[in-house]
Amino acid sequence: MRENYHDELDEIDERIIEMSTLAAAAMDAATRALLTCDLELAEWVIGGDDRIDALRAELESASFQLIARQQPVATDLRMLIGAVHLAGDLERMGDLAHHVAKLARMRFPDCAVPPEAHDIIERMGAVARSLVQKVVDVVDGIADRDIALAQAIEAEDDAMDALRRALFALVLSPDWAQGTEAAVDLTLLGRYYERYADHAVAVARQARFIVNGQHVHS
Amino acid sequence: MAQGVEARKLNAYYGKFRAVSEVSFTIEARTVTAFIGPSGCGKSTVLRTLNRMHEVIPGARVDGDVLIDDQDIYAPGVDPVVVRRSVGMVFQRPNPFPTMSIYDNVVAGFTLRSGRVRKAERDQVVERSLRAANLWDEVRDRLHKPGGGLSGGQQQRLCIARAIAVEPEVLLMDEPCSALDPISTLAIEDLIQMLKREYTIVIVTHNMQQAARVSDRTAFFTVSGTGQPGQLVELDDTATIFSTPADRRTEDYISGRFG
Repeated sequence: MRENYHDELDEIDERIIEMSTLAAAAMDAATRALLTCDLELAEWVIGGDDRIDALRAELESASFQLIARQQPVATDLRMLIGAVHLAGDLERMGDLAHHVAKLARMRFPDCAVPPEAHDIIERMGAVARSLVQKVVDVVDGIADRDIALAQAIEAEDDAMDALRRALFALVLSPDWAQGTEAAVDLTLLGRYYERYADHAVAVARQARFIVNGQHVHS
Repeated sequence: MAQGVEARKLNAYYGKFRAVSEVSFTIEARTVTAFIGPSGCGKSTVLRTLNRMHEVIPGARVDGDVLIDDQDIYAPGVDPVVVRRSVGMVFQRPNPFPTMSIYDNVVAGFTLRSGRVRKAERDQVVERSLRAANLWDEVRDRLHKPGGGLSGGQQQRLCIARAIAVEPEVLLMDEPCSALDPISTLAIEDLIQMLKREYTIVIVTHNMQQAARVSDRTAFFTVSGTGQPGQLVELDDTATIFSTPADRRTEDYISGRFG
């Protein structure tokens, strides 16, 4: 029954998975580019953002068409409304990875991250990686109605907030010797990682809405 | 006065075949309840048990209770004809008396019930019923022309006018739009919204979007296989049925995965 319709729903599901995989890979590469001062890797992240933006446009248009023409209900409807929201968050996650990569490129051949901040940024990158891997698993598992992972993501976001506070403390301490420019860079980087984690939480909430129809508000 | 409807452990049979099994529900007064489900699920059968129209088929019978205004319509001594006066019905195909005038179509049921009535009163009933059926403006100049000359959508509204002329407590509609074009269908749907202020409405529809558009509550019926009795799966707020139904079978049906 309604095979074309269900094929199109499956395609939307696949596009969301692709988008989340790309948003994960982008931040992972941007962090490595930043910490190892790798210009090529930074360029790769910057160039790849177009694909994420294009996927968002495709997802929105495909969801709109299905809503207009197929009268989706229940899980199908939640999935399509959820897809539009998810696409917005995943696109922003891609943008934030893009910002991190641009900062790495802007400071090349110097490193944007001075040695004393290296550890915190590395940990932020690790939390981002762990969070987004869960996001990919959640998005991939929407069809399996697994919400335990979506709940785990919210807990991990707290770790990111703590790291950002540590970064602030570092650049504001009287011992800070790297100057204003580096302090501004690190403040921005902290903001990018923290926002990235917040969007990951938003994706997890949308995934929960798709699975059980319950809105989660912070 | 609109009344609620309650079914308790209702079973409907055609001879030895049990068509509907153990259906129980409560419908509140002045609401629209849609019955949906695949062919053979028993939704039309259940509808017809609500005004004792099921038993008119030879060999058909019902057990269980149906309460309207807290009266069991299947209690011994209850006259089915009296039940059908208080529970009106509109059918799939508009069925006005074709040679009778529009005016006489509307008063047909009313005069049957009330015997001789003065012309002024009949005029009043005709105007009130046609206005309530949203047909008055279209037919006021030709009340004495035959009902068969109206369009399908107008004929269906004439049948609704005839059904409400007797001021029933409950109005049953058995796929009232399935023989109508889309615009006439929307006109009937608008009318249903107006009528629910005064009547309790139960509508069987094959069109799920129609159920989603017009009803306050939706009941999903299904059947597990041929030869099996139909059953009520769930009855809930329409908003809930079409966004987060409780039963997987409901979800599969409304999203077109079976049925």
